[in-house]
Amino acid sequence: MAKRRIAYYLMTIPALLLFFAFHTFPALQGIFYSFTNWDGFSDGYSFVGLKNFINVFKDENVYNAYFFTFKYAIAATILINVISLLIALGLNAKIKAKNFFRSVYFLPNVLGVLIVGYIFNYLFSNAFTIWGEKLGSGFLSQNILGNPDWAWVGIVIVGVWQGIAYNTILYLAGLQTIPADLYEASSLDGASKWREFWSITFPMLAPFFTINMVLAMKGGLMIFDQIVALTGGGPGRSTQSIAHLIYTGGFTGGEFAYQSANAVIYFIVIVAISLFQIKVLQRREMDL
Amino acid sequence: MKKGITTVLAGMLAMSLLGACGNSSSDNSANGGSSSGKVKIEFFQNKAEAKASFDKLVAKFNEANPNIVVTQVNPPDAETVLKTRAAKKDIPDVVGLGATDTFKSLATGGVFEDLSSDPVVQNIQPAYADMLKNYTANNQLNGVPFAANANGVIYNKAMFAEVGAEVPKTWDEFIAVAEKFKAAGKNAFYMTLKDSWTTLPAFNALSSNIAGIDFYSQRQAGSVKFSGTLDEVAQKQLQLTEYAQKDIFGKTYNDGNVAFAKGEAAMYLQGVWAIPEIQKANPSIDLGVFVLPATNDPSKNKLVSGVDTLLAVSKTSKHQAEAKKFIEFMLQPENVTQYITEQKAFPTITGVTQDDKSVEGLKEAFTQGNLVDFSDHYIPAAMKIDTLLQEFLQKKDIDAFTSKLDTEWDKVADRK
Repeated sequence: MAKRRIAYYLMTIPALLLFFAFHTFPALQGIFYSFTNWDGFSDGYSFVGLKNFINVFKDENVYNAYFFTFKYAIAATILINVISLLIALGLNAKIKAKNFFRSVYFLPNVLGVLIVGYIFNYLFSNAFTIWGEKLGSGFLSQNILGNPDWAWVGIVIVGVWQGIAYNTILYLAGLQTIPADLYEASSLDGASKWREFWSITFPMLAPFFTINMVLAMKGGLMIFDQIVALTGGGPGRSTQSIAHLIYTGGFTGGEFAYQSANAVIYFIVIVAISLFQIKVLQRREMDL
Repeated sequence: MKKGITTVLAGMLAMSLLGACGNSSSDNSANGGSSSGKVKIEFFQNKAEAKASFDKLVAKFNEANPNIVVTQVNPPDAETVLKTRAAKKDIPDVVGLGATDTFKSLATGGVFEDLSSDPVVQNIQPAYADMLKNYTANNQLNGVPFAANANGVIYNKAMFAEVGAEVPKTWDEFIAVAEKFKAAGKNAFYMTLKDSWTTLPAFNALSSNIAGIDFYSQRQAGSVKFSGTLDEVAQKQLQLTEYAQKDIFGKTYNDGNVAFAKGEAAMYLQGVWAIPEIQKANPSIDLGVFVLPATNDPSKNKLVSGVDTLLAVSKTSKHQAEAKKFIEFMLQPENVTQYITEQKAFPTITGVTQDDKSVEGLKEAFTQGNLVDFSDHYIPAAMKIDTLLQEFLQKKDIDAFTSKLDTEWDKVADRK
């Protein structure tokens, strides 16, 4: 028995080494650099203690990026979950060409985020504006990505359009785990469809709801590609997410160490949120 | 079935491992150089517009030097890619870059060779060489100026003739021309402010002429502030937006090149680098360029011109002799002429002139040496001046903008 266990441990070594070399080690390096004043390319650097961390808290741009990121993540998480649950219910119903529609709705997930972003960027500036003009609306005839108050909505639209595909599949899988006899019993008792959804479907989907909430929130908090493709953080800094701020400030801005400190703080924030989400939502699963 | 998949996967894994080995061994021989007979030089440059022109010169060089193979690398967002590679200590052998803050920080970081004693430098116009030396402040020449650019107002000659407008020499005349187009129901300018960097050509022309370049060293010393000094610059830049097409914040640089080529606006506040792109969209367009008249004193309105492309050699390159040979080749008068003709750029070596008709309007400024440098190159990149300008042009609050410049400048200086 003990011998077998050693064999199992040995088998994990290649994966462990790869994970350590390409994930853990760079992360530790980043934490190390956050205590220095390294600019990202010079030969030398010196230790500056907690100065970078103190400056992060004094930087208005950091607060601005947190505000945008959370605004985006919350809006996207809610919309993605509501819409993908509705689509999953539709695709699970007795409709014609069910498998065809299932693959159509999954399509956005296999397209690259940047490609989708650049296509939407073109649509926002050249196609939607023409429709807006035809409708005679001054607001809709302008590219919303160029409007500081509304650009984030454009990013939410693209993020949700692409994000629902994956969550729909997860909900669909969840719906198929619900035993049909529950529905039979409820229809014998004369329950309405509405009642059926809230008393059977939704509670039975709880584990899938948890995982979808966590995944969508995590995706929202890490938003980066869509921003690069759609607005580059603009207009001004109105759509700059934290990941985008860390990347542009660290590399184009030549403030590698400072943004490493920003990243370390963000890492702690994300860990805290994920733990909280899983704890709260799992308790809900138990209660049901 | 399951077993089949595992076998396939294992096979793929093994193949990819072998592939990785193959790659690394060929890399090694490339670095070793003579073992495979040919020296490989990576030429990394940041101008997407100039990719084809460089390709021609690289092919010409490779043909003339059978022992050296130069490959051009031109990724999107090249400056960021370069900085990322610098962080990994992986600097390309030859780097072609603008005289931007990226060059400044890499050069001060000690990434490039000092070329000041290299024979190729003898032919360079001292003004451009001094510009580069000023950036690094270590009295080294970390790059050889290869081509210069200019930043003015591109205009559609046919549209000017239509409304009877003349090339303006002062700020008031400039605004009068814009008014004329507005009165005729046309767009005087086409602005592409969705791409934040396109705020810079106008900003550079205004601030380099009105506030001056010395302002930035004084700001560093703390003797002046942005608020007060830059008010006029901000006010004038804001004024220009009144004469532009609608939805200026929704259009990108590429949209602008096409729209200007189609005659949707009479003037385009861009550098000469946009001309080849405009002509690509409409080969028959009759356009010219003039110096943006930032003030009402014609003698004070200088042309903003800087080093558009400089060629630098990596300090860690294993083939510096070959890299220098490539640079020497690039700076030969016939190759410079070929490049500047295709790119509508300006020469940095003596004895070559840019005679293209479209940029005739700038010739006087060049011959008289009436030039001033780009002011955004003196602003730390971490400030993101283009983003600040984009935000300002939407919020239209001059005082808030100039005081924000002060706080951002201090904040960045404080983090150093």
